[in-house]
Amino acid sequence: MKAFVLTYSLGICLGMSVLTAQAQRVLLRADVAQDTLPTNSGPNRTYFSHLYFGYSFVVGSASGPGADLRFGRSGELQAGLRHKVRLNQTLALGLDARYARLTYSLKQNDQKTVPTTTQYDREHLSLSQLQGEAFVRLNAGRRGNAIGHYLDLLGWGGWVMGSSHRYEQPATAGAKTQHVTERGLQYVQRWPYGVGARLGSGRYAVVGRYRLSSAFDGAAQGRYPELPRWTVGLELGWF
Amino acid sequence: MHYWVFLRDKAGMRLLSTAYFSPQAQARRQRQHLPAADSTDFPVRPDYVQRVRALADTVTFVSRWFNAIACQATSAQAAALRQLPGVRAVVAREAIDLAPASRPKQVDLGETTITAADRQLARRQTASLGAAAFQKAALMGRGIRIAIFDVGFLGVDRHPAFQHLMHDKRIVATHNFVREQTSVFASGRHGTEVLSCIAGLLPDGTPLGLAPQAEFLLARTERLYRELYVEEEAWLAAAEWADRNGADIINSSLGYTNRRYFPEQMNGRTSLVARAAEMAARKGMLVVNAAGNDGDDEEWRTIGTPADGDSVLAVGGIDPDTYLHIDFSSYGPAAGRRLKPNVAAFGTVLAAAPVGYVRTQGTSFASPLVAGFAACAWQQNRKLSAMELFAKLQASANLYPYYDYAHGYGTPQASFFVAEVAQPIPRSTEPTFDFVRQDSLLAVIIRPAAAFVPARTLPLYADSVMAVTPDNATAPRLGREKPVRTATDTARTEDPATLPPTHPDYLYWHLANAGGVLRSYEVRDVTQRVILRIPLRLLQPGDVVRVHYRGYTQHYPQQ
Repeated sequence: MKAFVLTYSLGICLGMSVLTAQAQRVLLRADVAQDTLPTNSGPNRTYFSHLYFGYSFVVGSASGPGADLRFGRSGELQAGLRHKVRLNQTLALGLDARYARLTYSLKQNDQKTVPTTTQYDREHLSLSQLQGEAFVRLNAGRRGNAIGHYLDLLGWGGWVMGSSHRYEQPATAGAKTQHVTERGLQYVQRWPYGVGARLGSGRYAVVGRYRLSSAFDGAAQGRYPELPRWTVGLELGWF
Repeated sequence: MHYWVFLRDKAGMRLLSTAYFSPQAQARRQRQHLPAADSTDFPVRPDYVQRVRALADTVTFVSRWFNAIACQATSAQAAALRQLPGVRAVVAREAIDLAPASRPKQVDLGETTITAADRQLARRQTASLGAAAFQKAALMGRGIRIAIFDVGFLGVDRHPAFQHLMHDKRIVATHNFVREQTSVFASGRHGTEVLSCIAGLLPDGTPLGLAPQAEFLLARTERLYRELYVEEEAWLAAAEWADRNGADIINSSLGYTNRRYFPEQMNGRTSLVARAAEMAARKGMLVVNAAGNDGDDEEWRTIGTPADGDSVLAVGGIDPDTYLHIDFSSYGPAAGRRLKPNVAAFGTVLAAAPVGYVRTQGTSFASPLVAGFAACAWQQNRKLSAMELFAKLQASANLYPYYDYAHGYGTPQASFFVAEVAQPIPRSTEPTFDFVRQDSLLAVIIRPAAAFVPARTLPLYADSVMAVTPDNATAPRLGREKPVRTATDTARTEDPATLPPTHPDYLYWHLANAGGVLRSYEVRDVTQRVILRIPLRLLQPGDVVRVHYRGYTQHYPQQ
């Protein structure tokens, strides 16, 4: 640990425990052992952890009429922590823990059945989730202590800790617009899970996820068409 | 994919060295008692090249030194290449690292107005190496051929700072290894700045470097904005080219770090450029390389490659304001706890930019200052071999035989080489301090005779002393340095107060083990005679405490 100190060290013993006569000014100090400690943490070291953010769009269509989405406005915002364990230059394993907020923006049309047939100005189903994800990372190419180019094969699962159905009603007497939020939806799946893949380079990645679980729970599965299962988006690592 | 195809032999190949090497290259080998040519100079067997060319997509380079062929091929073609007779190994090399190199937000082509402070910095960057002694002895690099590997030399052919080189035709050859052409003057300002720190002149004739009379080989080996492994291949190609064209010194203000390697791989053997630099040294060329600008990068911190090579003179940076290690200059030791950097020079300089002049920072500029110095030293004694010169450059430095991993042996001093015309060598033979062993302490006490602090000229106002280096001194990666703006640029003060023109009398001390590997080191400002007290319990058997003060170095071995 090198220090470039322009203040008086006043006889303190730092690091090397060397007695410094009073009022000696230490201009540069280095403890070589400390400075050259081998590390096992880093982008291409044994362990690496970092925060990341992502946004994915819901893509594809529902399994039947009644659940058309407004594409571009339906998507999942994510923020999480990623841990990676390097096995060798080409192979690593990882675990993510993240918060994800998935929003389905429902198109208002005559076929609409999810969650009701009533049409509003705007309508959303939102799911706040805690998710975990495991992945196998395949790296390509020679590199130093850098993330490099990679392909992740991943499996994820989550818990819906909060759900809401929000809609805007047309103007009524005394109000321009009425916003209504229903919380604790009983008809949504509480434990979603799925698989996916991520293609990345350095801090940037394109990720696609496929939900294997049904979007709706219990009897609602038969009542509603299945919502689109794919999300595709971008992730940005923060390191 | 890109591959290296390493071959087994050069059976049947010979070389007529007088036809292949330039007269300067032949003379260099003769002077250093090297063979006129050895098997590493022989051409690669043409039948091998032909077979590889027939199988691979493209052959990009054929290396005599490594008996290898660089090519592009598919993995199926690579498998077929492995089966060819004479092929020892086929090694994949990644072609591209997508991480873009930092791009300067604004292109500062330089200032046409030179302030008094600029001029003062220009004088000090050479004076710190004792340039006056070389000038008095008429040693300015005449007859020495210096090859510079860089990203480009924009405007060198038109800039007034280099007119003496153009007029005397002392840029004897150029080659662009990125585009395989001879033009190197069309892009890349970094090489312009580097060249100026060897041979540039201010309009009033003030030299920016120490060897304005040297000859130059200019090679573009780097791309501007992308990092490619093929740049290392270009470095090797340029080194072979420089060898053939008679280079005495290679200055490479380039380095490769964490995008490609780990710090523990900075062992002089892993990277292609390090091995190429070692080979260049074996051919009798002195390789001078910037230590790197990663001193304040916690993830890297150490030198890059090829500065990691044992035979490569790695040059660190010092702060013109304090004459101490400048924060961004990479630290040693190299892998294996080997001493790096070897020496140090100013890390903030005035350099010629494509238009005008500019202050800029980086060990990229310390390196050419030392390369110019080496040219003068070699001119003074042409009988020295490259590695003898290497050793003398270290021995000439102001801290020698003291060393640490921030400054190496310190700043080379011209007076070491031209003692008869120079001022006294700053290295003192008179003891300036004593080790005093007390009960449980080892004390270092400065002798009364060395305790005299000479008077100094006071500035008009204390706060008018302007720092050359800004407080938050940082530098981009090697080869990507940007101009710096300091208070003096905006103030345009015509008569700034002088900063210390000479090295202040600091006390340096280190604690080393029996193998000479440092455990710790320190630099102290000397304000009292009892300068250091070390508890003896900290010393292990075989440890050495080495102290340097006012040119005198003494060590205390722990029994």
